[in-house]
Amino acid sequence: MPKPNDKQLQMILEDMVVARTQAGRLWNLQRQGQIGTIAPIDGHEAAIVGAVHALETESDWVLPQYREPLGLRKYGPEVLDTFMLYNLGHPAGGHIPAPIKVAPSQISLAASIPHAVGLAWGMSLKDEPGVVLVFFGDGASSEGDFYEAGNLAGVIKAPVIFLCINNQWAISTPTHLQTAADSFSSKSEAFGIPGITVDGNNPSTVYEAVSDARNRAMTGKGPTLIEATVYRLGAHTTADDPTRYVPSEDLSAAQENDPVHTLIKDLKNRNLWSDAKQKEVETVALERMDDAFEKAKNTPLSINSLMDHCFVSDTPRQARQRAFLIDSMEKINE
Amino acid sequence: MPFEFRLPDIGEGLEDAEIVSWYVSTGDVVERDQALLEVLTDKASSELPSPVAGTVIALNGQEGERIKVGDVLIQIEETGGNGSPEIRSEKKNMEIKPEEPSTSIEDQESFISVAPKVKASPATRKLARELTVDISEISGTGPSGRITTEDVKLAARTDQEVSRDSSPMAEYENLLLRKERSDLGYMTPGEHKIKGVRGVIAKNMSASWAEIPHIHSLDEIDASLLIDFRNRIKKVNRHGASKITPLSIVAAATVRALKKYPMMNGHVVGTPAEKIIIPPFINLGIAVASDSGLLVPVINEANDIDIFELAEKISELVELSRDQKITADQMQGATFTITNYGSLGGRWALPIISLGQAGILGVGKIEERPFVVESKVEARPTMPLVLGADHRLIDGDVAEAFKNSVMDDLLEPLNLLVAE
Amino acid sequence: MNNKASELSILEAINETLHSEMERDERIVILGEDVGRNGGVFRATEGLIEKFGENRVVDTPISEAAIVGSAVGLAMAGLVPVVEIQFLGFSYQAMHQIAGQIARLRYRTQSRFEPQITIRAPFGGGVRTPELHSDSLEAQFANIPGLKIVLPSTASDAKGLLTSAIRDPDPVLFLEPLRGYRGIRDLVPDEEHIVPLGKANLIKKGDDVVIISWSYQVELSRRVAESLEENGISTAVLDLRSIVPLDVEAITQIVTHCGRAVVVQEAPETGGFASEIIATINDECFWSLEAPVARVSGFDVPYPVGMLENLYVPDEARIRSAVLKTMEND
Repeated sequence: MPKPNDKQLQMILEDMVVARTQAGRLWNLQRQGQIGTIAPIDGHEAAIVGAVHALETESDWVLPQYREPLGLRKYGPEVLDTFMLYNLGHPAGGHIPAPIKVAPSQISLAASIPHAVGLAWGMSLKDEPGVVLVFFGDGASSEGDFYEAGNLAGVIKAPVIFLCINNQWAISTPTHLQTAADSFSSKSEAFGIPGITVDGNNPSTVYEAVSDARNRAMTGKGPTLIEATVYRLGAHTTADDPTRYVPSEDLSAAQENDPVHTLIKDLKNRNLWSDAKQKEVETVALERMDDAFEKAKNTPLSINSLMDHCFVSDTPRQARQRAFLIDSMEKINE
Repeated sequence: MPFEFRLPDIGEGLEDAEIVSWYVSTGDVVERDQALLEVLTDKASSELPSPVAGTVIALNGQEGERIKVGDVLIQIEETGGNGSPEIRSEKKNMEIKPEEPSTSIEDQESFISVAPKVKASPATRKLARELTVDISEISGTGPSGRITTEDVKLAARTDQEVSRDSSPMAEYENLLLRKERSDLGYMTPGEHKIKGVRGVIAKNMSASWAEIPHIHSLDEIDASLLIDFRNRIKKVNRHGASKITPLSIVAAATVRALKKYPMMNGHVVGTPAEKIIIPPFINLGIAVASDSGLLVPVINEANDIDIFELAEKISELVELSRDQKITADQMQGATFTITNYGSLGGRWALPIISLGQAGILGVGKIEERPFVVESKVEARPTMPLVLGADHRLIDGDVAEAFKNSVMDDLLEPLNLLVAE
Repeated sequence: MNNKASELSILEAINETLHSEMERDERIVILGEDVGRNGGVFRATEGLIEKFGENRVVDTPISEAAIVGSAVGLAMAGLVPVVEIQFLGFSYQAMHQIAGQIARLRYRTQSRFEPQITIRAPFGGGVRTPELHSDSLEAQFANIPGLKIVLPSTASDAKGLLTSAIRDPDPVLFLEPLRGYRGIRDLVPDEEHIVPLGKANLIKKGDDVVIISWSYQVELSRRVAESLEENGISTAVLDLRSIVPLDVEAITQIVTHCGRAVVVQEAPETGGFASEIIATINDECFWSLEAPVARVSGFDVPYPVGMLENLYVPDEARIRSAVLKTMEND
């Protein structure tokens, strides 16, 4: 059961701090009307980053839901660049370029779980070593796709890791109204696969659990369901007001366990982190985000984008519609 | 120019928000992302962070006031000026104009209007337009009084052979053909006083015949290319294209020839002959048969317009003449005339030149005749032409040159699209 | 018998095509319920698991959403999934993966992922199936951009179109006629046979009126057209073959030529694909129409029980009557 070593812990903390910092800027951009709805990552950093650091980015795929992208820094700068295009509402925001093994955000809850199963399955059919990690939340686990896909994965022994980040809330629905089961990981029994619950605020435990699951998958033993328990420290999204339903004592308690602050304290105590380092990481993180956003805003958008990439090539009808669109815009611009 | 921070739609479809409290005042220096105010929407209360760093110049709203999404909240004079984010403006207005219907078929302003209450299938309506039949005047023999294709054909009285025949000549559009008048050539036995239009015609004919020594030059051309050109050009997407007929093509060729040989456009004044007038413009007269006799409406300054406009004008004037709505004004000042007796079924005639002109071009009906093509005899659609000229002014050489110019253009109608 | 072609039923043609395509392209994976050991409940996948093994021919659990959803993942991995949904009516269970995921995958990811996915499903009435086994849903899918929809009417077309569908880099719904599985037999080329998607087939020429249809109704239309020759009505028959992409040019040409048309569908009248065809005729051939375009379709009720089925499904008599009525207005 490998734990992350000190160097890895530092890298994990750096990614977590970057995620937290950039999330703050992202929130502000929305409040300034510059981007669309976003889902804050606050409270989920350890679970996401800890998991990702247990993967091999060259061979392992990550299928996010919608809260994770800022935590996927290990997969390369393209993830952030594409994420900012996505937030801007630019169609290029759906295309994370090859060979980055990250899929774009999935708005339809649990819909990517069968995708993950199929992808893992396909990789093993092709004898391509690697695993697929799919993120989803406590709420998503109630969708039919979760059960169907989990069941199928068990049967075919797909090398997939189901990572359910239980942040206690599905918008305003608390977990006890989401399921009567003891835990979300216990649902693995219905699939005939192992299930385990870990403290999602501790990136090391998440790292360990994912490493184990990865091992199992890579040695032909099939899928694992991991539940990482965290607390959603912010709103569900920028369109949500959690003060309407989150008890303030719960939130305060959770804030005491803030995973980013906890790890900062730990590593500072062990001289693996410093305030200066913190400042540097935060500054660079914001610059990176500003750059990515500038780049996104300067990415050209052609009228043709509306019609492109539906099929490989237009049907005659689509071609007619495309011509009409271009012609109308030309008339407006005259 | 101070930065204007407008209230954004922060809640997926907000229309307005209430200002709860300001965190800054005029004159304060603010940093980027610093909270400026708290607003309350129907979903939640939110703090709005500053997109720029600078000095607050003005607050646009009181605490407790409701302001709309898009209204200016606060104005900030930026420091430094660099790094200020452009607030992305609304996407280019995607107001898409409705696609204009393709006008490859008839121009909806066709001079035959289709009355709204008439029942007829689309195919029948189209046929009516093509045959220039007013569908609202037909009584239909189809179910529920629906107008059938046969009804339309009957009304048009198109030549039986022409409508059955699928050769190019069936396409020859007969602008001047009307319902057969049962009284054509009829007058009750007895004496009738000459008056009105008949009187004018009689007077003019005598004068022309007496004064102008006519020569006539007769010829015949292979009209295949002419017909082909006409069939193709009328489908072109251009105002007036659908009005192009063999007659208007002849008119265009005539105008071109008149430009080359201005003498044909001139006339002799005085008895005995005193002067020759050569006008600087071409006013083309087109002889039209009407219920009250021959009328000759005039297209003024035909030298200045292209074949499309010429075709439109001809079509317009012919219609007015048929309906006898043409005014005296519109029949004045012709410098040259074309008479299309082909529309009456005639092939060869020797037309009479109008006083005040020196020439007239007679156009006969296009019909198939044996024609020599590359040493072989073939059936070809042929158009007879007769040029009448005032021999006081026009000698044989000018007459032939002029006539040849017209014929050349009818044999190669693409010439008519070439700008001078 | 011609060496180069054999007489096959639609089902046999499909089976043969699956065999040859899987031989040709090792990326192809077949998945669905009962497709492996059982060879498919209609035997469409007969013999495949024996030849290609259980890694490439997979008996899945009963999870249409997961079956179709995992096909997305398989395509992301660079494989070519050919999914069988046992009856088209069951596709409702997978609807969100079809409409919200497969149809959108290329558009969402700007072609980062290639959805080379084929979904095969039988549909159609006249065979007394239980509820939801015969429903015609093609119009519902047609309104989802990003899906191609193909409906063969003959064995030869089944081979040619399935070949094209499997090889098409875009997702294709390949809808097979239940009644035609064994009921329609014709000559199928032995060698590779490709029929491009989006090209209709004028299976019978005519001058007075054209019957436009797809799937099993093409056969019924053809019979009606032949019999109408005796009435002196020259009836053309246009087999659309695909409804997406639609062969607008073919429709335009034949309707302009005839001036009259009848569209036949098994689906209920309201919102059926015949409506789309008539709208297209309106766009392209309005001025040539001698009579309104007629529709022959099912009724606006759920697909009925066995005893009422014959009342519901368009038959030769209904098609014939519609053609005669269309000709009447002369």
